[in-house]
Amino acid sequence: MTSRRLPLEISAGQARLLEVDGLVMRYDTEAGEVSAVENVSFSLGRGESMGLVGESGCGKTSVALSLLRLAPENARYQSGSVLWEGMDLLELSDQEMREYRWAEISMVFQGAMNAWNPVYRVGEQIREAMDHHFDPPLSTVETSRRMDRLFNLVGLDPAVQNRYPHELSGGMRQRAVIAMALSCEPKLIIADEPTTALDVIVQAQILEELKEIQEDLGLSILYISHDMAVIAQVTDIIGVMYAGKLVEFGSTRDVFHGPRHPYSYLLLSSIPSVTGPRRRPVSLEGTPPNLLAPPAGCRFHPRCPWATEQCRTDEPPMMQIGPSQWAACWNSEQVPEMGEQLP
Amino acid sequence: MADQRSLPEETHTADPFGSQPILHEVDSWWKIRLTLMRRSLRENWRIFRRSKVGVFGLVIIAFWAIMAVMPTVFFATGFWNPAVYDPVTGLELNPPTRTMTMVERITDPNTEIDRRAVLLDGRIPDTLQIGDTFELPRQPAPPDGRHWLGTDPLGRDVLSQLMHGARASFFLGILAAVVTVVIGTTVGSMAAYFGGIVDAFLMRLADLLILIPGLAILIVIGAVFTFQLWHLAVVIGILSGFGGTAIVLKSQALAVKVKPFIDAARVAGGSARHIIFYHLIPNVMPLSVLYMMFTVTAAIQSEAVLSFLGVLNTDTSWGLMMNLARTQGYLLQVVDFWWLTIPAGLSVTLLSAAFFLVGRGMDEIVNPRLRRR
Amino acid sequence: MVRYVTRRLIQMVFLFLVFLTVTWFLLYILPGDSVALKYAGNPNIPPEAREVALERLGLDKPVLIQFRDYMFNFFQGDLGVSFNQYPRPVVDIIAERLPRTLVLFLAALVTYYWAGFLAGKYLAWRRGNRGEMLVTIGGVGLYSMFLPWFAFMMIWLFSVLLDWLPLSKFLDPEQWRDAPFRANQVFMRLFWVTLIASVALFASGFIARQTRSRRLGRTLRWGGGALAVGGFFFYWYGVDSGQVMRVYAGDIGFHMILPVLVLTLINFAGVMLLTRSSMLETLREDYILTARAKGLPERVVRDRHAARTALLPVATSLVLAVATVIDGGVITEAVFSWPGMGEILVSSVLSEDIPLAVGAFSFIGILALIGHFVVDILYGVLDPRIRVTEHG
Ligand SMILES: Nc1ncnc2c1ncn2[C@@H]1O[C@H](COP(=O)(O)OP(=O)(O)OP(=O)(O)O)[C@@H](O)[C@H]1O
Ligand code: SF4
Ligand SMILES: [Mg+2]
Repeated sequence: MTSRRLPLEISAGQARLLEVDGLVMRYDTEAGEVSAVENVSFSLGRGESMGLVGESGCGKTSVALSLLRLAPENARYQSGSVLWEGMDLLELSDQEMREYRWAEISMVFQGAMNAWNPVYRVGEQIREAMDHHFDPPLSTVETSRRMDRLFNLVGLDPAVQNRYPHELSGGMRQRAVIAMALSCEPKLIIADEPTTALDVIVQAQILEELKEIQEDLGLSILYISHDMAVIAQVTDIIGVMYAGKLVEFGSTRDVFHGPRHPYSYLLLSSIPSVTGPRRRPVSLEGTPPNLLAPPAGCRFHPRCPWATEQCRTDEPPMMQIGPSQWAACWNSEQVPEMGEQLP
Repeated sequence: MADQRSLPEETHTADPFGSQPILHEVDSWWKIRLTLMRRSLRENWRIFRRSKVGVFGLVIIAFWAIMAVMPTVFFATGFWNPAVYDPVTGLELNPPTRTMTMVERITDPNTEIDRRAVLLDGRIPDTLQIGDTFELPRQPAPPDGRHWLGTDPLGRDVLSQLMHGARASFFLGILAAVVTVVIGTTVGSMAAYFGGIVDAFLMRLADLLILIPGLAILIVIGAVFTFQLWHLAVVIGILSGFGGTAIVLKSQALAVKVKPFIDAARVAGGSARHIIFYHLIPNVMPLSVLYMMFTVTAAIQSEAVLSFLGVLNTDTSWGLMMNLARTQGYLLQVVDFWWLTIPAGLSVTLLSAAFFLVGRGMDEIVNPRLRRR
Repeated sequence: MVRYVTRRLIQMVFLFLVFLTVTWFLLYILPGDSVALKYAGNPNIPPEAREVALERLGLDKPVLIQFRDYMFNFFQGDLGVSFNQYPRPVVDIIAERLPRTLVLFLAALVTYYWAGFLAGKYLAWRRGNRGEMLVTIGGVGLYSMFLPWFAFMMIWLFSVLLDWLPLSKFLDPEQWRDAPFRANQVFMRLFWVTLIASVALFASGFIARQTRSRRLGRTLRWGGGALAVGGFFFYWYGVDSGQVMRVYAGDIGFHMILPVLVLTLINFAGVMLLTRSSMLETLREDYILTARAKGLPERVVRDRHAARTALLPVATSLVLAVATVIDGGVITEAVFSWPGMGEILVSSVLSEDIPLAVGAFSFIGILALIGHFVVDILYGVLDPRIRVTEHG
């Protein structure tokens, strides 16, 4: 086993805002333990944007929720740490953690359609967050000025704040959620599938706006998606997850153009690409494993065309394969050439 | 939601294509249907069994079902003598408790004198004087070996009444539930199928019925008619069938109505009657069974209350036992005469709670959302 | 909102007309001669009353005329004359009893919804799915308790065994023997004072909720509450008109405790179970996660977000609760000989005083319809989605 400590210096010199180190999280269920996050390590600097991709059920949301310590009640943290500016969030008291939430890290939830409480006006729900986090409290005038700014920022008419959630369209709701996420000036926003339920045009607009906002405000954003193509357009770094593990990590350019883990390779080759390198579509067969009893060795081996005997028994560690690229695969060297020969 | 339960629908969609000799078709059609039904029953039982409260309710119901058949067994085997144990006319001549009584007033001894005094030694004392004292058997008598739950103020066996009361409750509850479901499914399906005026009329009627306090209606009807037990069952069935049950079943029927096999049946030329009775109703049934359980609960309670108030015309029921205890002034003597009130009151509570619990258990079959993840 | 209310109001009036018609059919048309027979065969009815009643029924007239007369009379407030209290008009009796019943029902309804909602909220919040079996069985057991029996058990416990509360009745005749007031006078005073105090109490809580500053909110809540409660006692102890009535008002209030307690205990479990499952469902919603992510204190997440939304299905259940509490009230009044509408309904039915029974029943129906209307409006206030979409 190589060092658990991971590739931290992608853009050297910057202080790391967030460092997730060897995080292991499992869910207790009646059927047994679900190994949802297994030894995941990555880091993110100020102003950087990172993407976390993977098929449904591979543990992306679980990772994101861990950063806010919001995982469901049956979640058990086995080991690892989540360092926020050097402080381990997993060690904080509940009260301290609450102060961190939204003020430092905010989140746009998967299916933001349901992120609004149907019985309160949109503005009220945003104001509520501000009321709880600014100390000393903002004056009423200041709050409403800020609110107007927020709505303008995300391209909404400030009058929308007086509407109820059910009176907004999906796109508007999503934008308002982003406004809410920005309301307490966090340093990091986690965007869990921020645009999945929207139509392609709105999706593109919103991503574009998020990117602008991020650059203007110097925010860090952690995007979560199952769509590699979308992620690649807006992020600096990409992490690929499979079955609870981070299998490839690196700069977006490297991973997108030269994936070195078979899983990333297959994911990428399944998107018809206009901008990226031309690839033959190779299908990814089978389904992700049941995390109640994940396969031994490399968790991807049952579906991997590259798999060897070693893969069935030994777990591949994260290995550096380029100046800004890491992959957890025994055969990462062979990935590009052999990929060409796949049926 | 309807997919794994309402299996019969497959057989229906296949219907229009069958062109075999009719007899043969009917025969195999039923066989398929039975097999499917058995399979879905087994599946549903598997789900139901996981609901602890449902099973708990079922156990209580089973207990009362046994209680309800016991008297037949006891009378048939001669273990109980009808003259003593009959719930209405039975009389314990020789209770374990006695009381000294003084004669205060003598009228014609042949007719007016206390029946129990006469029967004490089998003859009318000729020489009865005012001021004479003699021993009278005292009813109600506490439980002993012969009367496990004692006797009531009229000298009748409480246990026997309790068992017969269970019988009445089952009869009433089940009859009311069946009437409810027959009416509720028909009304709900019709409202869903026809829509428009039919729907508006039936649903406003339902609104009204759920708004008006049911017990108040029953009491008033009781004022005008002479209520028998089965009248009550039918009235409760009608009230709940046209009321709440119809509303719930209508929304279920609406969900079924948009399923493709209904269109298929319509295209195949099915008449409204055919579609309602062969397609809508069978698919709404599972939910209506759930509502049956709640109707049973309501029926048992209503009966008990009405008998207790003395509005109902029955001869054995739990409510009536309480009524007697009340009119004879034993209701508040909870410690001294507990057997007059506790068994009957508890029985009403237990049995109606049991049906309610079974309903909750069934809820998990009908509402997959509630199922345990 | 105005349109929503108007629409509801029109619907209510329509429903009420239907209700009157159905009542009439039920009692006058269907049994036809049997009513006349009943009148003739009832020895309790004074002969004059029988004449008047038969005359009113007008059995010889055409059906439509009968119906017209009935409706006409009803809206003129002429419901006939009671047999048992001949020649007292039915309307008179009802006017005396209606406020009492209203108070009993309202007190019970508010208490049991409040208690049930709180209990359900805490159960859902504390234990999730654990203890489900116990809570369900306990709740259902209480919910299906046989009400008259339960009521007598409570009477036995509190009035016989412990001797804390009066057995039954509306007031203690001994104490009222040479009282300077009529019972209804005192009762209405008690009613208004309590109403004003509770409205003040509720309003201060409501306004406190709307304020953004937590300090001001707390001050308002406690200050307003103290003011309302203080004002209530000040009236009875400090103001002359209150002082002289205090003993009598106290007696009436004292007699109300047990009936309200019985109604509350028997009904609150249903609300509790409903709130609990509604709240468990709500807690799974994304906006609860969002509220937590926003760093809101758990208490705020629980009360402002989870419980507030979980309240919606509970409020819907109020529609049915109106009928339930009236049914329960009828039994309770009968058991406690507490002279309200329910008690006259039962006693008039038992003594075959049909004009009174029908009158009482009609007004119980009106009560239910009004209750339903209020609940509908309340629901519109609670759920913004309803207000706007104007669903039917
Ligand atoms: N509360 C829970 N209890 C048990 N298992 C859970 C729980 N929440 C999630 N899981 C399991 O953990 C695994 C990871 O779930 P997670 O939601 O993190 O996946 P995801 O990558 O976000 O998927 P998606 O793209 O569908 O959102 C899944 O296999 C899921 O079934
Ligand atoms: S380690 Fe082996 S099985 Fe796993 S991805 Fe690499 S080649 Fe495939
Ligand atoms: Mg997810």
